[in-house]
Amino acid sequence: MNKILYSCIAEVKRAIRNPYYVLWSLLIPVCFYIIFTKVFTFNDNAADQALWEAHYLMSMAAFSVMGSSVMTVGIRLVQDKQQGFITFLKVTPLPEYVYIISQMVGQSVIHILSIVVIFFAGALLNDVSLMAMQWVLSGVWILFGSLVFLALGTLVGTMNKVETASGVSNILFLGLALLGGMWMPLNAMPTLLQDIATWLPSYHYANGPWEIIRGNSPAWNNIFMLIVFLCLFMVLSVYIRRKQEGL
Amino acid sequence: MEDTIVYAHKLSKTFKQKEAVRNVSFSIAKGEVVAMLGPNGAGKTTTLSLVLGLLKPTKGKVQVFQQPPQSMHVRERIGVMLQEVRMMDGLKTKEMLQLFRSYYPNPLALSEMIALTGLADADLTKKVEKLSGGQRRRVNFAVCLAGDPDFIVLDEPTAGMDTTSRAKFWKTIHHLAERGKTILFSTHYLQEADDTAKRIILLHQGQKIADRATEEIKHQLSRQYVSFRLNGKLNRAKLDMPDVLAIEEREERIYLETKNTDALISYIMQHFSNAYDLRIDKGSMDDVFETLVQGSREK
Ligand SMILES: Nc1ncnc2c1ncn2[C@@H]1O[C@H](COP(=O)(O)OP(=O)(O)O)[C@@H](O)[C@H]1O
Ligand SMILES: [Mg+2]
Repeated sequence: MNKILYSCIAEVKRAIRNPYYVLWSLLIPVCFYIIFTKVFTFNDNAADQALWEAHYLMSMAAFSVMGSSVMTVGIRLVQDKQQGFITFLKVTPLPEYVYIISQMVGQSVIHILSIVVIFFAGALLNDVSLMAMQWVLSGVWILFGSLVFLALGTLVGTMNKVETASGVSNILFLGLALLGGMWMPLNAMPTLLQDIATWLPSYHYANGPWEIIRGNSPAWNNIFMLIVFLCLFMVLSVYIRRKQEGL
Repeated sequence: MEDTIVYAHKLSKTFKQKEAVRNVSFSIAKGEVVAMLGPNGAGKTTTLSLVLGLLKPTKGKVQVFQQPPQSMHVRERIGVMLQEVRMMDGLKTKEMLQLFRSYYPNPLALSEMIALTGLADADLTKKVEKLSGGQRRRVNFAVCLAGDPDFIVLDEPTAGMDTTSRAKFWKTIHHLAERGKTILFSTHYLQEADDTAKRIILLHQGQKIADRATEEIKHQLSRQYVSFRLNGKLNRAKLDMPDVLAIEEREERIYLETKNTDALISYIMQHFSNAYDLRIDKGSMDDVFETLVQGSREK
């Protein structure tokens, strides 16, 4: 038990000390938020604008957490592998799965921080006001929903080269964000893209809080699809790892 | 059997086309210090990886502490230093030493680990990635000993160390050996194997070509010669004595192979008044190596 605990603590420290964290997880989402709610405004009436400000705040929180899940975890795992550290772990009493879980825990602490900071930015910059329950539920959804993308990160982490992993995770992350409607509202996109979105985990992820801030509860469909993707990514990741062990 | 730490039986490993290790068997008893010696590409890293369970043998079988090398019991009792491992960036050195201690049932005292790294307090609070290459090697060595292991495996441990750290490192190894630790290390420096190990396993092109006590290898194969020039013809009958192992004449010199150069020199001075330009040629470890490699080719 101690092993798991200490390993998690160490990973939290590593995650917080990562210099890219501030840039990717905080600065960029907050900048986007300012640009798309303060600089450009698409809405004529105040009620629509207020809803958009809350909606886009959720988009950016989801965007930030999804990004750090896919990119940071994936790239770090590949880096550790390339630097011989994963191999070294195999001759220590720390099982590889504990190491991967610690990475996820470390990243989740970062996610809590990101969610809080981005929510605060919304409340301060645009006076986004939601019921306490809505804030909490949205935050919890974004935090736990990120498991899907952490699993996707471990899948990226099975790659052998940092360059490939970084390229692939960038494309995945930006593609998922764009097509899932995190940057632009879905109804501003062509219907074909809207149809594609309903098959992407990013859409189902962000749709949870989008519904919550409108006073609805997330669709069962969203939860179901997220679970399907989680299982898919986990099974693939475990399968590929098993296969690589055979060397 | 109780005292067998490593049992490797007919290990072979083939990567795609390349046969990196072929039919290598050996066992290591408790308390032994064994060097795996061979030039680059000989198969040292591959053999050690097989012993550690990092690679699956294509053929053959290996046990450590009578168990498969991947088992938790083994992992808790071994300490390993691999070539080129970069540790966890973002952690301070001391934090990382603490972390690895927490993985073992009977860890080494933190103060002892710190002493092993030889790092100053200022460096202990530096992040691992800020350390120099040599400092990192020593931190890896401290991590290797975090669990106070009974069996220590080191793959070319001194690569990248300067002369001072190297001397300090071997001193520590001697210390550990005195405390009864079993040690297996690879090197391509003959001198290191000779200085530290009581037994040498010699690898060449993936095969084991010798496995004997260091002294024995040196004694048997460090050929020593007494050579001299002669005014006149050699009377071979006068050299028919036990100290002379072989006689060879080339380039107007007479070479006598012997194990006792001192006795032979005084014999020649006494009995060959026409001998001059006496010389002793002792084989170095490099010659031993050459001889062994050649011997294995001829077989
Ligand atoms: N993963 C691998 N794939 C293909 N060939 C390999 C691999 N690892 C080692 N080899 C080859 O096996 C041989 C032995 O390598 P190695 O065990 O690393 O030697 P050493 O450690 O003695 O320098 C070399 O010719 C090397 O090129
Ligand atoms: Mg090697």
